[in-house]
Amino acid sequence: MSSSKFEEVINKIINDSPPGELREVYDDLIKITSENSKNTILDAIENYNVQNCIPIEVNGNSVIISKYNKEGAKFFDPVNSVIFSVNHLERKGLDIEPYEFTHAKIEKGQLKELHDKLHEYLLQSFPGDVSFAVYPVPEEISKISIIIVSTKYNPNNFWNGHWRSSYIYDLETRELSGQISTQVHYYEDGNVSFQSGKDINQSNVDDVVCTIRDIETNFENDLDLSFFDLNEKQFKALRRRLPVTRSKINWGSAIGSYRLGKNAAEGK
Amino acid sequence: MSDAQFDAALDLLRRLNPTTLQENLNNLIELQPNLAQDLLSSVDVPLSTQKDSADSNREYLCCDYNRDIDSFRSPWSNTYYPELSPKDLQDSPFPSAPLRKLEILANDSFDVYRDLYYEGGISSVYLWDLNEEDFNGHDFAGVVLFKKNQSDHSNWDSIHVFEVTTSPSSPDSFNYRVTTTIILHLDKTKTDENSHMMLSGNLTRQTEKDIAIDMSRPLDVIFTSHVANLGSLIEDIESQMRNLLETVYFEKTRDIFHQTKNAAIASSAEEANKDAQAEVIRGLQSL
Repeated sequence: MSSSKFEEVINKIINDSPPGELREVYDDLIKITSENSKNTILDAIENYNVQNCIPIEVNGNSVIISKYNKEGAKFFDPVNSVIFSVNHLERKGLDIEPYEFTHAKIEKGQLKELHDKLHEYLLQSFPGDVSFAVYPVPEEISKISIIIVSTKYNPNNFWNGHWRSSYIYDLETRELSGQISTQVHYYEDGNVSFQSGKDINQSNVDDVVCTIRDIETNFENDLDLSFFDLNEKQFKALRRRLPVTRSKINWGSAIGSYRLGKNAAEGK
Repeated sequence: MSDAQFDAALDLLRRLNPTTLQENLNNLIELQPNLAQDLLSSVDVPLSTQKDSADSNREYLCCDYNRDIDSFRSPWSNTYYPELSPKDLQDSPFPSAPLRKLEILANDSFDVYRDLYYEGGISSVYLWDLNEEDFNGHDFAGVVLFKKNQSDHSNWDSIHVFEVTTSPSSPDSFNYRVTTTIILHLDKTKTDENSHMMLSGNLTRQTEKDIAIDMSRPLDVIFTSHVANLGSLIEDIESQMRNLLETVYFEKTRDIFHQTKNAAIASSAEEANKDAQAEVIRGLQSL
C-alpha cells in the first residue's frame, strides 16, 4: 500500500470515529498496523481535534481548539491569557506560556459581558460537560467565532453523546451564520449512531446570545418531534409488531393456509 | 493475522460510523489483508439483492453464505447468478439433495412469515450440510434473511445465522443456536434542506434452545418440525429485537442527546426550587 493511500485510509477511519472514542480507535489501529503508523494516526487525530473543536484540558480549564485560535503549531486561550501546545491523544495542554490577546473589534469589558451571558445560557440548557469560546476570526476583524461544546461520555455503559454548535457573528452587518451538529453513539451489543445537524443563517441579530438560545431551543424541540415521527411513520412501516391476525404464526404443515386465506381474500 | 488484530478490527467496526460500514470494512482489509477472510465471514453488512431469471426475475438476498466467487445462489431455482462456468460450478457449494428439500420448505414457510410481518420486502433461506454424508434430518446449519426498505430513507435487514445439532445426551433432542443481527437505517425525509437527522446501526444477540423431535417419524415430518422450531424461535427473537431496537433508537439515543442539551433543565431547576419552598412551608405549617 502506498504511503499516500495509507494516510487516506487512516484519515477516513479517524474522521468516522465518535468524538469520545479516539483513544480506543488509536489503540485498535496500532494493533492492526504497527507502532510505525503512530505518527500518521496522530496527525489525523490532530486534524480531527481542530476540525471538530475538541476541548483540551489546560491547567484545569477546558479550552476549545479550532482554526480560530491556532497560532503556528500552538493554540491560545484569550480568557486565561495563555498559549499552549497540545497532546492530541490525551487532550491535554503542554508548554503553557503567558499570552496576551486583544480582539481588534471588541473591548475587554464587552467581551466579558458576552462571556457571562453565554455562560448563564449554557448553565440553563446544557447538562453535559460544557465548554465554550469566543475567538477572533483571522483576517476579518469585524467577525467573531462563538463555539459551544457539550459532551457526556459514558464508556462504562457503552454510550457517548456530543453536541457542538459553532457560529460566526459579524459585528458590523449583524449577521449570524453557523452549524449545529450533534451525535450519540450507543454500542452495547451493537453499534447505533444518531446524528443530526442544521445550518444556520440569520440576519439583523442584535442580541447574539438570545438569538443562539432561540435557535438551539427550536432545534431541540424539532428533534423531539422528529424522533416521534421516525418511530411512528418509518419504523412502524418496516415491520409489524404482530401479523394482522394479532396472533403469532401457527408454524407447521398448515402454514400454507395463510397464503390460501390471503389469496381468497384478494380474489385470486 | 493474530487474534489481537482480529479483535481490534471488530472493536473498531463497533465504534466507527455504521453508515459507512462497508467502506470501513474494505479499508481495514486494505490495512491488514490477512484479516480479509475472518472479517468477511463474521461482519454482517446490509444485504444486496439479485434477480433469478429462471424464476420470473424473482428477487433474492445475497450474503457471504450463498456466495461463490462473485456469484450468488438463488434459493428459488438453486442457480448461481451471474451464471458460473461449468468448470467453476464443479466446485461450487450446493446443499445435498435431502437438505435442498428442507431448504425449499424453509423458504416457503419463511416467505409466509415475511408477508405476515413485513407486508413486503424479500426473504431468503440458505442451508448447508455439517456432515460429510447426505443429510438425514440431523445436523445442519443455515441463514434466514429478511430485507425491507421504504424509499431511500429506511431500511431493515435481518440476518439469522443458525446451527442445529443433535444434543450429545439424548439423540431425539436438538440444540438450535441462532445469532441474530438486525441492521436498521432511518433518516428523516428532508423537509428543510438545511437540516438532517439519521438513526442508523445494528444490534446483535445470541439465542439457544433445546427442542425434542420424534425421529421415528418419516423424513418429511421431521423436516416440517425443524422448520416449525426454527420459525417460532426466529419469530420470538425478531419480536424481542424489534422492541429492543425501538427502545435503543427512540428512547435511549434521545435520552442521551438530552444529557448533552436540555432546555428543560432551567425550568426544572425552578420547579425543584418551588418544591423545596413548598416543603419548607408545609414543614412550618405542621409545627
